Amino acid sequence: MSLNRFTFRSNQIVRISILFSLSLGSAVAQTATSRIVSAANTFLSTLDQKQRQSVLFSFDDEQQRKLWSNFPISIVPRAGISLKEMNPAQRSAAMTLVSSALSPRGFEKVQQIMDGDEALKLSEAAGPQSGRGRGGPPPGRDGGGPPPGRGPDGPPVGRGGNRGGGGGLLFGSDLYFISILGTPSQKSPWMLQFGGHHLALNITIDGERGVLTPTLTGAQPSLYTANGKNVRPLGQESDKAIALLNALDENQRKQAILSFRLADLVLGPGQDGKTIQPEGLKASSMTDKQRAMLLDVISEWGGIIHESAATVRMAELKADVNETWFAWSGPTTVTPGNNIAAYYRIQGPHLVIEYAPQQMGGDPSMHVHTMYRDPTNDYGRKPAAK
Amino acid sequence: MKRILPAAAILLLAGTPALAHRLDEYLQGTILSIENNRMDAQITLTPGVAVFPILIADIDTDGNGSISATEQRAYVDRVLGDLSLRIDGRPLTPRLLSMEFPAIEEMKEGRGEIRIEFEANLPPGGPNRKLTLENHHQRGIAAYQVNCLVPRNHDIRILAQKRNYTQSFYELDYVQAGMLSNSLPAALMQGIGKPLETIALLLFAWVALLWARRSNPSYRGARTNLSISMRALLSLRPFGRS
Repeated sequence: MSLNRFTFRSNQIVRISILFSLSLGSAVAQTATSRIVSAANTFLSTLDQKQRQSVLFSFDDEQQRKLWSNFPISIVPRAGISLKEMNPAQRSAAMTLVSSALSPRGFEKVQQIMDGDEALKLSEAAGPQSGRGRGGPPPGRDGGGPPPGRGPDGPPVGRGGNRGGGGGLLFGSDLYFISILGTPSQKSPWMLQFGGHHLALNITIDGERGVLTPTLTGAQPSLYTANGKNVRPLGQESDKAIALLNALDENQRKQAILSFRLADLVLGPGQDGKTIQPEGLKASSMTDKQRAMLLDVISEWGGIIHESAATVRMAELKADVNETWFAWSGPTTVTPGNNIAAYYRIQGPHLVIEYAPQQMGGDPSMHVHTMYRDPTNDYGRKPAAK
Repeated sequence: MKRILPAAAILLLAGTPALAHRLDEYLQGTILSIENNRMDAQITLTPGVAVFPILIADIDTDGNGSISATEQRAYVDRVLGDLSLRIDGRPLTPRLLSMEFPAIEEMKEGRGEIRIEFEANLPPGGPNRKLTLENHHQRGIAAYQVNCLVPRNHDIRILAQKRNYTQSFYELDYVQAGMLSNSLPAALMQGIGKPLETIALLLFAWVALLWARRSNPSYRGARTNLSISMRALLSLRPFGRS
């Protein structure tokens, strides 16, 4: 527990420093890129030679570029340097760098995901939970619809048996890695990566262009309390999507709701560069109000990056909106204050968003993975417009 | 300051299934791509932690704790054998392109992915085509997913994808525009044959008249009328007036 208290104090210092440096930053007129480059150089200046070597990669290092996952770092090891390995000043500089590349809401989302992982660590340290066995067998086996239960030939139900206990090695808000591909520059392209369990930010900076795709966000638990308040890191993604579903008329819902189960992300980690056939309801068949709601759902991902890049990105996605599709699979109702237990996908010419609750031995609404891609420009590969 | 979260103050509202990995399902995700005369597919198989013992017994058949190349190939053959692939109702034979197995430890942890790539030749057919894929592999524990990539060939257009609830059955309807120009029989089937037939008949009649005129000059009037008809016919365009 003393380690936890130390971790918390470190987090406090980091967050106070970030607020301070952001307020200082706003006093000076800077472009977003110059602000990010400055934060990157400040962070690098806090590191010793060995740490700098661990953080810096060549811009064309494809292995590092694709080294991201939804898994905890002990299951899929990341490269770079973790917050756990940093002193408070280094950690503060690292988080200032991450926040400089994101919008305030985007950075808050990232912090909530990391805090959720801290909550998960604490719950694991407290001992085995009753997660398995609450829900009974998962729905949906062969047949024309969701059957009431597993057949007699189903697998044994139980926890994995290899958890190792404690959760300290698997989870925690300090088990997130930062890395930089290329040299931070206001003109030449470079990349900032930050991630760990349920988080993979891949941010390409190319002049004033900022590209956030591909990015993975997730939450487990997707609902926890902090200081007496409920926190849902991906709550808006859930609430806005079901509000859109409920705004559709019967005919539109028939098109949007898929008749089959989707157990996981289709275009998750390792599925770069693929464009699947879109399905569901095309937004050209929506009303203006419904299209605005759809764009509002999209903004939960499009708006993670800093404001000037988000503005450009959302304008691009708004221009595409009539060619954008909305598909839903799973329960169409939700307990107020909770996340949905349904999968949904939003797909357009420059966009794939997936929201996928995970059936991993408990309430799927409490464990969510999401994916945000631009199949034409993942990792900022599309040449800049002249 | 208020949003800073003391670790001790974070409480879960519900019992958390604190597992970071797939548990009691065998995820089998297939992504297909369609070309003019062939299809490719990649199957990614991810066993959950709880079903790993079932899977490893099926793969490591000699039970020695490692997966030999022979066991890998035998398992992949069983996976492909559990697929039923058809085009327009005719069975297709999948041909293995590549296979990739993770370490056993990775599979134990629920993060190991077996990747299989295969292809199949698509025999010639009409412009409207129907591809079906049924997957019966480990159906008791499977979570199937099937999708098709947007075709790179603009002559191929996906019309519909249909699936049952579990996605063990998948049907893809698509049109292949190039089929019209590729084969004369197909063109004839589509109704283009009628004008071609007419032109052929007129040419035959013209040659016959020329031959008849040579032997009898009184056919001159008939030949002139037929020439005018031919010119009028050949001046026709598929779209528009000129």
